[in-house]
Amino acid sequence: MRFSEAEKLALRYSEWMALDPDKIDAAFYAALRRCFSDEEIIELGAFIGFNIGYHTFFGSLKFYPMFAPDGRLVSQEESARIYGEKPVSLQGEATGARPSRPPGEF
Amino acid sequence: MYIEPLKSDEILDPELNALIARAEALGVPDTLFPRILARVPAHAKALLRALLVSHAEGNVDHKLKEVIRVQLARTAGDGYFARLRSAPARDQGLDEATIAAGSGKFEDDARFSAAEKWALRYARELYLNPEKVDAACYAEGKKHYSEAQIMELGAFIAFHYGMQAFARTLRLFPAPGAGSGTPSCVDGEHPARP
Repeated sequence: MRFSEAEKLALRYSEWMALDPDKIDAAFYAALRRCFSDEEIIELGAFIGFNIGYHTFFGSLKFYPMFAPDGRLVSQEESARIYGEKPVSLQGEATGARPSRPPGEF
Repeated sequence: MYIEPLKSDEILDPELNALIARAEALGVPDTLFPRILARVPAHAKALLRALLVSHAEGNVDHKLKEVIRVQLARTAGDGYFARLRSAPARDQGLDEATIAAGSGKFEDDARFSAAEKWALRYARELYLNPEKVDAACYAEGKKHYSEAQIMELGAFIAFHYGMQAFARTLRLFPAPGAGSGTPSCVDGEHPARP
């Protein structure tokens, strides 16, 4: 069990905010509060939101890390070969920020 | 509302209060979201500054950004940001019909230029069909906008969508009068969204 209960909640918060935000309800916030202060929850939530927005934007720009894992400065072509056209982290179930329901009218 | 906002007299940082006042003048966000963020002052200042600069400054038309912002809020399913309106955009002539059109079938709507349609499509596809935001999409965008403007748009879209995704989970609801340029918040009187 490499993740604590608090860490699992934080990971769930992140996954659900991106993929299934309706699951983040009063009960979930109550669970978060057993492990985190309101200040920590705000910090986490804003950080997650920021990353949801930016990872999608950056992903569309199709750029790769400047450095190889061994620290060498590499070209974008070589970086794509090293890190793969599709990163490992995008090959699982969570493959990007997609709303869980059609856009609302409000 | 799952996290209570701080009361105005609990926020003592002058820079943060100045940013909250600037947000109130813009109308987006109203003071509710900033007073929740204010529980973490350093984050609140950085996030508010980024929200305000990306929305109200730069070389892309503010009215277009406002139409895009509401479209994004509807995509994100966030009723709080979707209901707010920019006072400057309204003063510049942006009306509700145009905002609604930007969230609807804008491709067939003669009120939008080809450039504006590309920007609206870019915002929509980035979060609904990101695989369509490809080299061809960016090549089309470069016919209408400089690379600097495209980065400004992309960063604006990314930042606002992310904050809207977060705001949705907080179950916020604007105070009556929010977004109209009038003071939008009375301490302790923000209605919670059912």
